Amino acid sequence: MDQPTLTAGTTRYAGARIARVEDARLLTGHGTFVDDVVRPGMLHACFVRSPMARARIVGVDPAAALGLPGVVAVFVAADLNPDVHESWYTSMGAAMPDPPKPPLAEGEVRFVGDPVALVVAVDRYVAEDAVDLVALDLDPLPPVVDYRTARESEHLVHEAYPGNVAGEIGGMPAEMLAPAFDSAAHVTSATIHQQAYLPVPMETRGLVAEWEAAGGELTVWASTQSPHEVRMFGARLLGLPEHRVRVIARDTGGGFGQKVLPMREDMCVLLAARKVPGALKWIEDRRENLLTAGQSRHEHATVRVALDEDGALVAAEIDHVQDVGAYPMPWPVHAGAAVGVFFPGAYRVPKARFSYTGLYSNTVGRTAYRGPWQFESVAREVVLDIAARQAGIDPIELRRRNLLRHGELPYTNASGMAYSDVTPLETFEHALGLLDLDGFRRQQADARATGRLLGLGTSSYIEPTATGMGFYGTEGATIRIEPSGAVNVYVAGGSCGNSLETTVVQLVADALGCDIADVNTIQGDTAVTPFGAGTGGSRSGPMLAGAVAETAAGLRDRIVAIAAHKLEAAPDDIELADSRASVRGTPAAGLSLADIAAAAYFEPASLPDGVPPGLEASGRYHARAMSVWANATHVCTCEVDPETGLVTLLRYIVSEDCGPMINPAVVEGQIAGGSVQGIGGALYEHLAYDAEGNPLSSTLMDYLLPTIAEVPVIEYGHVETPAPNPGGYKGVGEGGAIGAPPAVVNAVADALAPLGVTVTQLPLSPAAILALIAEAGGGAAS
Amino acid sequence: MKPAPFEYHAPTTPAEAVDLLSGLGDGAKVLAGGQSLVPMLALRLAVFEHLVDVRRVEGIRGIERQNGTVRIGAGTTQAAIERSPEVAAAVPLLARATPLIGHFQIRNRGTLGGSLAHADPAAEYPAVALALDAELEILSAQGTRRVRAGDFFTGLWTTAVADDELLTAVTFPVWAGRGGFAVDEVARRHGDFALAGACVAVGLDGEGRVDRCGIGLFGLGPVPLRAPAAESAAWGLAAGDVDPVELGRAATADLAEVPDDLHAPADYRRRVGAVTVARAWRRAVEEAQGG
Repeated sequence: MDQPTLTAGTTRYAGARIARVEDARLLTGHGTFVDDVVRPGMLHACFVRSPMARARIVGVDPAAALGLPGVVAVFVAADLNPDVHESWYTSMGAAMPDPPKPPLAEGEVRFVGDPVALVVAVDRYVAEDAVDLVALDLDPLPPVVDYRTARESEHLVHEAYPGNVAGEIGGMPAEMLAPAFDSAAHVTSATIHQQAYLPVPMETRGLVAEWEAAGGELTVWASTQSPHEVRMFGARLLGLPEHRVRVIARDTGGGFGQKVLPMREDMCVLLAARKVPGALKWIEDRRENLLTAGQSRHEHATVRVALDEDGALVAAEIDHVQDVGAYPMPWPVHAGAAVGVFFPGAYRVPKARFSYTGLYSNTVGRTAYRGPWQFESVAREVVLDIAARQAGIDPIELRRRNLLRHGELPYTNASGMAYSDVTPLETFEHALGLLDLDGFRRQQADARATGRLLGLGTSSYIEPTATGMGFYGTEGATIRIEPSGAVNVYVAGGSCGNSLETTVVQLVADALGCDIADVNTIQGDTAVTPFGAGTGGSRSGPMLAGAVAETAAGLRDRIVAIAAHKLEAAPDDIELADSRASVRGTPAAGLSLADIAAAAYFEPASLPDGVPPGLEASGRYHARAMSVWANATHVCTCEVDPETGLVTLLRYIVSEDCGPMINPAVVEGQIAGGSVQGIGGALYEHLAYDAEGNPLSSTLMDYLLPTIAEVPVIEYGHVETPAPNPGGYKGVGEGGAIGAPPAVVNAVADALAPLGVTVTQLPLSPAAILALIAEAGGGAAS
Repeated sequence: MKPAPFEYHAPTTPAEAVDLLSGLGDGAKVLAGGQSLVPMLALRLAVFEHLVDVRRVEGIRGIERQNGTVRIGAGTTQAAIERSPEVAAAVPLLARATPLIGHFQIRNRGTLGGSLAHADPAAEYPAVALALDAELEILSAQGTRRVRAGDFFTGLWTTAVADDELLTAVTFPVWAGRGGFAVDEVARRHGDFALAGACVAVGLDGEGRVDRCGIGLFGLGPVPLRAPAAESAAWGLAAGDVDPVELGRAATADLAEVPDDLHAPADYRRRVGAVTVARAWRRAVEEAQGG
């Protein structure tokens, strides 16, 4: 395969724990987040939101609000919604069926928090005072709160969707797998439930939109994972020429899928921007974020696995049902189908099938969240432990017998996914080695003898990264070596904590033989950088590496040619290192990159034949494969207090294979963050509603995030199996959030197994654990 | 969210403070550490036209060992109590409850008086005041009156302090003789409000029999609670003859309005409430017997 290579000579920066470029400004409070953007005459927006889960909108009266000094405007649906020219996402395409997406609610409100009006005032304090004065006349309707009974409900969340079915899809029919299940030695069936939870980025959503009427230009400062999606979507939305829309994303404090697409509030602010006399800023507060930014992970499935008498998997099936809320990100069916397709995971499963149903409910709409399909790992890993116990096999042994190993690849799974260059069994054994499995089992047995419950859980998964499909399949870079010799790399960005400013300068410094101090990157400005899809789908590492490889190779050749010409040496004898070109063997006699650049720009006549003037290049990498597969195993040990149900995590170990690592510190940071989010989902986080659809966890007092006091120091093992793309790098961003919940659940299940408890529901709150113990017949106080 | 508009006042003497409160009526609220009030104002769960900030009021801060008691100014921060050797020696139950209050940042601002006057049923200090029969001093334009802890907590987030009054000091008895003191609670995460908790003070006579006992419960009702049935069951028995598990059951058997919410149903709170009584009792007795 003719992929360009990434390094000029000996790798110096890639692979090293280089300190982050971003840290100097972020850790000293000098980042520029959207709320730091202040524009002359800037105005502030605040939404009037529905207090009811479902109601007919009888009227919205802004008169009292408009009378409050400092209020500039109050917009309702009739003011903004008709101005929509086109509303569809570039990443999905115009043809993707779109669930309804009115900027402001019209006709009906469909969840508590549904935006009904937009107040614009001189500051946020006045705007909130004005929101309290907008008179909302709502006629309550019976809400559909529980998605599990939505299909049978006589009430519809959206008129156009009978049975509240957002969509359905299936693989092969159940009858086709019946013989495999009927003849199997062991069949285990369970229904696994996961609660609604969501990404909680440290920085909530927000944007500043400034319309400059004279030139007809819109500038948007956005907290986003994809500046280019905001630009393209926004230009279409408002019917503006695209080149007159500029989107700037400086620092973004976390995205995790919540900031991949402009949402309804963003649409409202963009639509209102041309109607107010100054830049319009909307900053979501934490309560709004928990109420309205979206929910994820709310789903359940009935799963069945069949084992032969040796404990080998013969078949697996998942019938999966998902809550998509009232206004989900498009398109739920596509995202939901991934659960069924990936369900067989990193195991040898000859036959598998799935079905998926997405159901609307009068709750906040479903949004993407780090590994949006991760329920496939939750369901599979939890049921594998149950199946093992039912068959009288150690869950560790069951994994050993069924995990794919590197030597048997390529392997095409039952869903048609072709896996290569992955190491499921290897990471499993590696993680257990780091744990000292035998040592833990002895510790567990000793504890049991004194009435203490210790447990061990594992989870192994395989994840698609860096897809080559559609909107996400290419990545561009422009590298300008300035006349001064400074190296500036322009890439689309979209970083919200992904360390892209650091990894890209490491890669470019290696590719051009520069001192890393001479390399700078400019990201997050659609007026300045090439198009890029942004962050998401664990794509940035491999795609940036590819873009750098495509772009730097030609530049490196030109640098070498100019140096060879000026040093009167053969190009093969030129070495690039530390921003200097020298002849091999005589390092003292050489030229700095600054000298070479000066010649390229100011003395083009002195260049060798065939070498163009200047030192700038643009390139675009095309990812060939549908996915670059990455894998990992998470191992968790815990203690459960049988009197209180409290869970203490003892050790947390991840052995991951994302191929070679551009920066091990960045990789570990990604794993840590995802794992903590997964621990939160297993034990603490729950976006709950009461029976009337009122949210119960709208502040961080009730929506419980794990803190450092709840999480052990995470231990990392790195296996490095290169992928076929430039540098061999694979994506790693989402894995922690996929692998963690089942590892934690399985650890608790292992601790409780001797009491006859089977765990099938998240989150494992202390009350839930005590109830499980009581149900299994145990659980008097000691 | 941003709070609704309010007027801010910063009196410097207790007299000035209660004059303001009396003049401003029920639209005014005392601001001390702000660790409970400010979030409520920001979320607009509570709206007050006037905030009377008492952080600059003289004479309501400080820890004073007197004869058989410790008197602590209502404006004393929880952090100061946590650091105080006098409190550690003379009122160990208060000292041991303090690190369980939120996180150290909260304790740097939060005050003894604020915690008692806010009267969150899941807070530690109200239960400690109850268990030790503390006495609270309340100032108004008419002068100072004293209220026993047992009469102070009158309902959910409601105390004996009227709208025109200011809590100025709390006096805790010092237990002489062989005593043991422990606080135990169950919370979802480090620093969270307790789902249920107990503070236990036990005194033993020369023969090791229980001659004094105070059990305060928090998180188990709309107000902090004593456990009189459990206390009288233990009274007079040899410490070793008291079954901690039975004691816990006795303390929680007759609880009427146990909270039920997203974090825990009522029966969970009742069960672990009993566990916290048992655990606190064991530790307190161990200390009393050792001392």
